[in-house]
Amino acid sequence: MTAPALTVENLSLSISGANIVDGVSFAVAPGEVLALVGESGCGKSLTASAVMRLLPDAIRQTGGRIRLGSDDITDWPERRLRDLRGQRMSMIFQEPQAALDPLARVGAQIAESLRLPRASARPRVLRMLEDVGISDPARRIDQYPFELSGGMCQRVMIATALIARPIVLLADEPTTALDVTIQAQILDLLRRLAVERQTAVLLITHDMGVVADIADRVAVMYAGRIAETGPTEAVFARPGHPYTALLLASIPRLSDEPKSKLAVIDGRVPAPAEFGPGCRFAERCPLADARCRAETPPLLPVAGNRLAACFHAGRVA
Amino acid sequence: MNAPLDLHDLHVHFPGRGGAPIRAVDGVSLSIAPGETLGLVGESGCGKSTLANAVVGLLPPTSGSVRVLGTELVGASRATLRAMRARVQMVFQDPVTSLNPRMTVGEAIGEPLLVRNLFRGAALRTEVARLLEEVGLRPSQAGNYPHQFSGGQRQRVVIARALALRPALLICDEPVSALDVSVRAQVLNLLVELQAQHGMANLFVSHDLAVVRHVADRVAVMYLGRLVELAPRDALFATPRHPYTRALLAAVPEPDPVVQRAKPHVPLTGEIPSPAAPPPGCRFHTRCPLAIARCRSEVPAWRMIGETGVACHVAY
Amino acid sequence: MKRISPGMAVILSLLAIFALAAAAAPLLSPFDPLRQSLLMRLRPPGAMVSGKLLLLGSDDLGRDLLSRILYGARASLLVAALSVSVSLVVGTLLGMLAGWFRGWTAILVMRLVDTMLSIPAILLAVITVAVLGPGFLNLVLVLGLTRWPRYTRVAYAQTLQVATLPYIRAAEMAGCGPLRLLLRHVLPNIAGPLVVVATSEFGLMILFEAGLSFLGLGIQPPYPSWGSIMSAGRQYVARAWWLTVFPGMCLFVLVLCVNVFGDWLRDRVDPRAQGR
Repeated sequence: MTAPALTVENLSLSISGANIVDGVSFAVAPGEVLALVGESGCGKSLTASAVMRLLPDAIRQTGGRIRLGSDDITDWPERRLRDLRGQRMSMIFQEPQAALDPLARVGAQIAESLRLPRASARPRVLRMLEDVGISDPARRIDQYPFELSGGMCQRVMIATALIARPIVLLADEPTTALDVTIQAQILDLLRRLAVERQTAVLLITHDMGVVADIADRVAVMYAGRIAETGPTEAVFARPGHPYTALLLASIPRLSDEPKSKLAVIDGRVPAPAEFGPGCRFAERCPLADARCRAETPPLLPVAGNRLAACFHAGRVA
Repeated sequence: MNAPLDLHDLHVHFPGRGGAPIRAVDGVSLSIAPGETLGLVGESGCGKSTLANAVVGLLPPTSGSVRVLGTELVGASRATLRAMRARVQMVFQDPVTSLNPRMTVGEAIGEPLLVRNLFRGAALRTEVARLLEEVGLRPSQAGNYPHQFSGGQRQRVVIARALALRPALLICDEPVSALDVSVRAQVLNLLVELQAQHGMANLFVSHDLAVVRHVADRVAVMYLGRLVELAPRDALFATPRHPYTRALLAAVPEPDPVVQRAKPHVPLTGEIPSPAAPPPGCRFHTRCPLAIARCRSEVPAWRMIGETGVACHVAY
Repeated sequence: MKRISPGMAVILSLLAIFALAAAAAPLLSPFDPLRQSLLMRLRPPGAMVSGKLLLLGSDDLGRDLLSRILYGARASLLVAALSVSVSLVVGTLLGMLAGWFRGWTAILVMRLVDTMLSIPAILLAVITVAVLGPGFLNLVLVLGLTRWPRYTRVAYAQTLQVATLPYIRAAEMAGCGPLRLLLRHVLPNIAGPLVVVATSEFGLMILFEAGLSFLGLGIQPPYPSWGSIMSAGRQYVARAWWLTVFPGMCLFVLVLCVNVFGDWLRDRVDPRAQGR
């Protein structure tokens, strides 16, 4: 495996004393798509903010390192980080229309991270627009975001994020606000650009379908911890953590029996104040025993090149 | 017996900005039989939510006919509308804004019974407790406010409120879209269960084909204000006739990498045109891989292929 | 409940003191605020008269300033509270109707609001009092009926927003009539911002009352009000500073407290701070 473009080691974040992200580690190689998947409140978006070094004020990083290529950027001052964002590391968001400046022309927004004079930037912006599949780029380049549809805006966001050829792209629910036919287009585009440009993509999503579509590897998060991680096909084929297994079984599919009972996960995600010493999924887990409630299971290798944080990984069906 | 819902050539137009009306729903006819669930799918702006709101009289139809249990609602009096609303109830997408934050969930569930003078006092409390239990909540939670509940629990409260009047027709407008994946399954199970118990008809509006397939008996597909295909569930998913239905099915990402990656990747090109200026002829022709000259000029008539109704010149 | 900061605790206790002082004025006042005495004219604060202490001094007619300020607080707070209530009710009602029915109702109401807001409020009050004649009730009516447009604007915008929410549609489906919809479903959900407006208006009302009384258009002599006390003390500023300084300070501290309280309330009512 090539040297990772992005490495997160043992990241821990806390808000007023509660560990909302606890010992999260992963690495993304150039040209690879790693999906960080989980339900709301599992800490996946905060992890992305920590990678961008854009944590909200109330949240403190209590441990862990973040490396971009070979640079440890954990303690970099804001001024240096600003040169980094948009250049070596960029991000796209769920609501493309809200993330674009409504008063700036499309071309100007895309060109911003190029830091070139307008005339010399223009041909590159045009090429980038074409590359993200925007028809008639010569006309679109001078339009404002409100003149574009949601899918088109997301393409513009991707163009903005990728024009400076960053080595890492963070995509936070990039297709959640889009229609399925447009989502399919955008996912294909992301996949193609990641491979062509050898960009490492960290994809934050709640949608297992999206993960199955474009992720090379997946890390399933639950209540601030990684429950399981490994190659997408292996994780989906034989989950190593009961949470992954139940989550997958709870999704209606085009292939299952209509009106059949879907698997449910009893109870609810614990609030950060309720985190105990053991596995955070223990209260809802059909396999949990006394040890699960007392000890935190470490992420250990299981078959198929995967890691699972479960004492009973071998018994997950 | 009269059908719980019978729509005939329904049009709902809104005044548009540039003078041209927005044809959100533009000539839709369909009906739902007692105890049947009709899934209505389509992408944003296709008019499915507008249609749902017009059915319950929250939006005035421009023309056409909406019959609920045989009663015509277009042009009906206030009293008729109010009486009919007791028989048609709705579950909304966002459980956060579906409940009045200043009302306890018990008050919310009991409100339809109270304002229609069906129950009061102790009998009302008993009925509310029964409804809470029916949707899997504890009767002791009646005094709590919505913010004390999780999203899934709130949606249960909304469902309990909708069931209070024992409606003949339940309209679900994207009822699980705002919920987390694991909670979605709980609410879907509940809806399927309740429908089997009560035998009410259900109009289930969603953009998620897998969810619709899970709950529906028949499925209608909308595109830009018109129905493009309506078929029994198994027929629609096994042999989709309309090119749009096929594209939609192909675009659903299956939560299975083996299946998903084996799928032919022919994403639909282009964007959905504005409903204020729909394309002439077949509205889908601008994005249709099969479009022929005729599609650009002539509106395809509704025709039957076996059990499937379809509006397409080239479908077979 | 969130914890209250020490600074806010001071503000809240000062407000409580003002309210108590006004309510218990007859019990707390050492003298009859209306009793004149030529022997006690313009005594400085702390003077003793026949064994009784004039804590804040006396005015040109020999009346005890402390007693007059206590009774004046009554007038100020009562006028402010009543006029705020009048404008709150009128403004909210009009705003809710405009926001609910929209169309012509909204156009009519909102044009009226624009008209009212383009007339200087104090001028309108002065003219109205001049026509109706001064006095307590007229003061309340004038202030109440000129200050409603701000509530209307807020109520209108909030109602427009709330009216589109699914729970309102659900209540309609439940069979609620317009009255129940407005009172049970809309009003409780727009009340927060309106209370915030009412608080900031309360401070303004106290100032307006003082201003009008100062001009002789509010509370009429011999009844005390902070504005009229200061007005009367104006000619003695050089000889009897206490006549203007003490009521002025009361006015300043009270309005400051009310305004700080209003800001604090606004932060709490802020929807982002609410646990939805």
